[in-house]
Amino acid sequence: MTREELQTEIYKIFREQFEIDNPAPDDDLKDMHGFDSIDAIELLIELEKILGVSLDQETKKDAMLHIRTVNQICGYVQELMPRKDAANTDVVHR
Amino acid sequence: MDRRVVITSEAAITPIGDSKETILENLQNGGSGVNPLREDDLLSDYIHSRVYGTVDYPITYDFARKYRKTMGPVSYYACRVVQDLLKKSGLDADFISSGKLGVAFGSTHGSPSVQRNIYRTFFRDDPSETRKIGAVDYLKSMVHTTAVNITKMFHITGRVISSSTACTTSSQSIGYGYEMVKYGMQDAMICGGADEYDTTTVAVFDNLLACSTAYNDRPYLTPRPFDADRDGLVVGEGAGAVLLEEYEFARNRGANIIGEVIGFSCNNNGGDLILPNLEGIRQTIRIGLDSAGIGPEAVDFVSAHATATKMGDVIESQAIDQIYGNSPRVTALKSYMGHTMASCGVIETILTLYMMEKGFIAPTLNLESIDPRCAAINHVQQLTHAPIQTAAVQNFAFGGVNTNLIVKAYSP
Repeated sequence: MTREELQTEIYKIFREQFEIDNPAPDDDLKDMHGFDSIDAIELLIELEKILGVSLDQETKKDAMLHIRTVNQICGYVQELMPRKDAANTDVVHR
Repeated sequence: MDRRVVITSEAAITPIGDSKETILENLQNGGSGVNPLREDDLLSDYIHSRVYGTVDYPITYDFARKYRKTMGPVSYYACRVVQDLLKKSGLDADFISSGKLGVAFGSTHGSPSVQRNIYRTFFRDDPSETRKIGAVDYLKSMVHTTAVNITKMFHITGRVISSSTACTTSSQSIGYGYEMVKYGMQDAMICGGADEYDTTTVAVFDNLLACSTAYNDRPYLTPRPFDADRDGLVVGEGAGAVLLEEYEFARNRGANIIGEVIGFSCNNNGGDLILPNLEGIRQTIRIGLDSAGIGPEAVDFVSAHATATKMGDVIESQAIDQIYGNSPRVTALKSYMGHTMASCGVIETILTLYMMEKGFIAPTLNLESIDPRCAAINHVQQLTHAPIQTAAVQNFAFGGVNTNLIVKAYSP
């Protein structure tokens, strides 16, 4: 999946799941769009579907700390993708 | 510190309507909110009772997703009645968030439809299915979900009480809210209860042989409180809320005062968790009157709990007779909509306030032939134009919990 395809997918999730329409890629989602910790947990479930794997608890906690913008979300998912392929497993550890 | 506590706003969603006009029309014309049980994919095929007090009219919600995401159906009802109540109240936003306004609101067991989805995941072959339990499922389904979704949506920062005592849930909400204001802990309280459509509750009462089954083909003929041909209760859904305020505060801000709470009691039978208990009910009636500082002769209307079970109605009739004699008029308001469980106490209080305002007393619906064992009290069998000065709203719950609220017409 290219970065552009991934971003399109993320925007779709934001529109359909969180009723947030087209946030700018570097908008602080929490401060500017009211995206809270409950939303972040639900987003991680959606990201697991994109990745086709389950993320372990530490990976999720790390994501909760560092992901604040759409750009960061895309970067995070791309970072996890190759490791998932390399590990060839259903669970990704960070 | 003893302060007067007045009622200044109200709102309800009931099987006979969600506006004062519609509810009054049904009370005056004998309109029933009891309908056929809806089919579901869990229990409806196995339940003998095929009737339910349903909210069948459309309700518009305009809640933003940030609120919706932690709400099950029961909280939609709860937040909607509180939204209506606050709109009518004229309370300003500063007061609402001042910490001087609290919430007493509950439900029988949170949101059973959300809980059902959680439990489903436990019975699948793949244990990883439990991961599908959403992050917000607990917030949607927990016992105090109504109260805290209300505080979130309306930015209320005062005390929170979330009673969950089945049929006395919302009468306790009003009673404990009354005491909060009376004794100076809060200046105002939003009090009420809600329960969503749920066949689990029907199954419970059905298994206890307490549900109506003889009128499945004619739902409007049941429940029949105090009637010789009654055959059990009908479960219902709904919500209600009243706003209680300290009298001087309400008067100074020019609030529309619609009634006054002057007494409350709550006790327990101290024994069996299901069987009605004459002495427990007698005591709660007495304690309520003592709390109001009035004698039984001052009460001119009793809103009976009267679920239309075989023994419950007899015991309640005996208790009313022994305390009041046949002086106060008695109506069983559940006859119009079934037993709305956690919301019955507040809905029956609101209906009593409406009748108080309009100067009439609705008859007990379907009361055609009074059971001789219930006959000693002054049943209302026809629409009666008479003022209500002081009313007692009685509710009793599984677990042996009894309440008695004393509500008076407002006079300065």
